[in-house]
Amino acid sequence: MKLAYQRRTWGLFAAAIFLSVLSTSLTPWALSRIKNVVIMPLSLSSSVDGVYSKSLGAYIMSLVIGIVIMSSEFQHHTAIATFLAAPKRISVLVAKLITAAIWGALINMVATGFGMISGKIALGFFKNVAQPDSYIFGDYLASAVLTGAVLAVVGVAIGTLIRNQNAAISVGLVFFLVVDRILGLVWTEGGKYLATGLITAMMQLHINIKSPALGLGINSADYLDPWPAAGLMLAYGIVFALVSLITLSRDID
Amino acid sequence: MSSIEFKGLVKRYKDVTAVDDLSANVEAGRITGFLGPNGAGKSTALRCLLGLAAATEGEALIEGHLYSQLPHPMKKVGAVLDSSGFNGALTATQNLKVICTAGGLDSGRIPELLKLVELDHASHKRTKGYSLGMRQRLSLAAALLGDPDILVLDEPANGLDPVGIAWLRTFLRNLATAGKTVLVSSHQLAEMQHTVDDVIIINRGRLIAAGPMAQVTEGQTLEDAFMRLIGVAK
Repeated sequence: MKLAYQRRTWGLFAAAIFLSVLSTSLTPWALSRIKNVVIMPLSLSSSVDGVYSKSLGAYIMSLVIGIVIMSSEFQHHTAIATFLAAPKRISVLVAKLITAAIWGALINMVATGFGMISGKIALGFFKNVAQPDSYIFGDYLASAVLTGAVLAVVGVAIGTLIRNQNAAISVGLVFFLVVDRILGLVWTEGGKYLATGLITAMMQLHINIKSPALGLGINSADYLDPWPAAGLMLAYGIVFALVSLITLSRDID
Repeated sequence: MSSIEFKGLVKRYKDVTAVDDLSANVEAGRITGFLGPNGAGKSTALRCLLGLAAATEGEALIEGHLYSQLPHPMKKVGAVLDSSGFNGALTATQNLKVICTAGGLDSGRIPELLKLVELDHASHKRTKGYSLGMRQRLSLAAALLGDPDILVLDEPANGLDPVGIAWLRTFLRNLATAGKTVLVSSHQLAEMQHTVDDVIIINRGRLIAAGPMAQVTEGQTLEDAFMRLIGVAK
């Protein structure tokens, strides 16, 4: 109820849609020409799949909503009222986790849906565009739901651990947008177990571009299979939920 | 059975003992002042009572139970601990609805309570525009949402102007007359003299006196009695 009342929630929703639409609709241009060399022609299904995969690019907003759900209790000092109304902390945490998972999944799914539509429109400006693989729309939406739910749960854990909202959001964004991606690039073996690697794995992209000249070493076969990736993502969610429970047992100021 | 019992309550933060072996009772249907200077440990003791802070030793009970064990805590105890505890982006009505949802309460009483605390004219205004006095009144409305038998109020007169303080005094007296038990903490001894029936006085975390007002003050003003009890010449 609190989320629905807050303008910030709808702002995050709008931002997620904007991010997804922007990255998906610009990708056909960016993907088809890198350093003025056509490396992934849109006449290939895998290239078109790659375009649509960008619709999942707003997953970070699910993380942010998870952080906000928990840390706003401490920022606005409403934690006291909340824990007076519901003193069993595990009940509060479970309610927060469920709420976060639902909103995280919803935001990511809706943003992904809008992204796909914008991708379809953008691809309409190109000639000789291949049809995407038939499974991708369902798979991407399913990935969006799972990724959104799990990242929102991770966000709740971060918001519980770091009670300063700005610091919590900063830490979350820096980790997922910077550290995770750098690790994924410099430590390929381990990178597939991190959030970005798992999300990529769940999308079942079939891309293999190993071009030393362009500095590209992308091969989607290096990632986990979709189901193990989804399982590991869920496991991360459970671990972070347990971390939340431990940190929430501290005194409430 | 007393409404509220502190039984050997101790709360330590690393090397600092905020509450030191506090034992005292609050009787039903009376207004009890929980008094002491700033930093005496009043708020910490109340937080332990309400399950927001874990006791290091001992316990604080409400009708024989820990707050967290009460089946419907908001129907038994209403608490005002922090008047800033509202989401400023929400209106008074929305904030109270959120609390009702969290506490499993019917939100039907909200208009009646906002009228009781004289905030009905501002019920649809965002609380970030509220004055401190308005937030204190809204906190009282929140505490009464479950129509509880016991009220625990931490410094409710803070920030109130003389009119607000007089309003609060009448408000608390009406609650006690209606059979409610009220535990109200304050460092404003002169004001409490006119408000409470019983007192629990603590200093540096330790109990220094407890009982009916007349028995504790021995004919002095509350302020003079307090100075005498803590051994400070006035």
